[in-house]
Amino acid sequence: MTKHHPSNDFLMEHAAGSLPVAQAACVSAHLSYCERCRRTDGQLQTVGGAMLERLDPVSVSESLLDTVLARLEDPAPLAYAGQTEVSALPGLLQRLTNKDFSQLVWKRVTRALSISYLSTGDTSHEFALLRIAAGGRIPEHTHGGNEMTLVLEGGFSDGRDSYHPGDFIYRSSEDTHAPVALDGEDCICLTVLDAPLKFTGWQHRWLNPFLKLRAS
Amino acid sequence: MVAASCMLTGRISQVPRCGMVENKNDGEADSGRSSGKWAVPTGRRTDEWSECLVLIGKSNDRAAFTRFFRHFAPLIKAFALAGSSLSAAHADELVQEVMLKVWQKASGFNPEKAAASTWIYTIARNCRTDMFRRLQKFDTPLAADDLNIELEGEEPFTVLHTRRGSDRIKDLMGQLPPDQAQILAKVYMEGKSHSEAAAELDLPLGTVKSRVRLAIQKLQVQMDRQ
Repeated sequence: MTKHHPSNDFLMEHAAGSLPVAQAACVSAHLSYCERCRRTDGQLQTVGGAMLERLDPVSVSESLLDTVLARLEDPAPLAYAGQTEVSALPGLLQRLTNKDFSQLVWKRVTRALSISYLSTGDTSHEFALLRIAAGGRIPEHTHGGNEMTLVLEGGFSDGRDSYHPGDFIYRSSEDTHAPVALDGEDCICLTVLDAPLKFTGWQHRWLNPFLKLRAS
Repeated sequence: MVAASCMLTGRISQVPRCGMVENKNDGEADSGRSSGKWAVPTGRRTDEWSECLVLIGKSNDRAAFTRFFRHFAPLIKAFALAGSSLSAAHADELVQEVMLKVWQKASGFNPEKAAASTWIYTIARNCRTDMFRRLQKFDTPLAADDLNIELEGEEPFTVLHTRRGSDRIKDLMGQLPPDQAQILAKVYMEGKSHSEAAAELDLPLGTVKSRVRLAIQKLQVQMDRQ
């Protein structure tokens, strides 16, 4: 049971298909964990269906119908990936990571924190997996922009609350936080950033020039 | 390169009919309904299209498909042209793609879970997103379909509940005040983000967001208060 959800604005933009692909992927990964948000998503798509029915029709030529009828027996694409499995690792992440986390290239940032960058094609958002060692702390930081986080394995706390698999957290540039992974197992999170992190503590500030946004 | 959503900016060509409803509040809305001009679609009509989809899915019924095409293809074309820079040729291509998917995916359509219009809206939305990305040479390993998490394995009660919610949304859509309907059209039919809608309508982002929220509340979409 997830406790932390995307805002209604995000759910709506997701249902309308207007979120940038990296953010859409993160919201969508949350939906695969959260029945409540899936239900809302379904209703928000109904709003889209109802609007579609109310558009002023634009006439379509008879020849287009003939073309489509002639192509009906064309072989369909092998598989439609739309039927993503609910729970487990969200299907879209399986695609981006070749099934599991073991083959990923992890880049070590601090003793407790490693990052693996994934490519979504969205060049304005960094899409990455963070691995925080059990009990490990990410140095206190702010963001030049906004950060979406989705917990995939383990969990972390940030002084306000604790977060578990499926939980979705959104932080804006004003927020400063220092997440600590829960004891017992490594915490793996998906993060989507639109500007690099900035460490605020004096011990880690020297790292800032190296933290470029790796969006691809 | 800019984010995908920014690519959707362009000219505005379509405003849904409900955008022209002149009722300012719920009290007056009923008079609009009874005038017949902006009649709320009945449940019956929806059933007709759901039945078509079931026939297509079960028995590759070409006659049902042709009926379905004649009704929805002009709406998909309107959707393709709404607020985007798609040419008429690309709009026709989109109609083709969507209709072929309808044929191929109809066996997965479950009338208990979704109205035909919602089902085809989702297909059209995803095809349009993918087409925009293709046209912009935006290379992504994720197709819009990959980001679509379907409702499945829900309790019968939940399904019924969802369905009632959907019927209500359709009924209430005709009663939205024009300013709210206009924003929903920007977001849903033109694929604009809230901030793009704000920029185009020359409104503060906060106003756009609050109108969206009011509209969603009026439609009684069940969301958490935040």
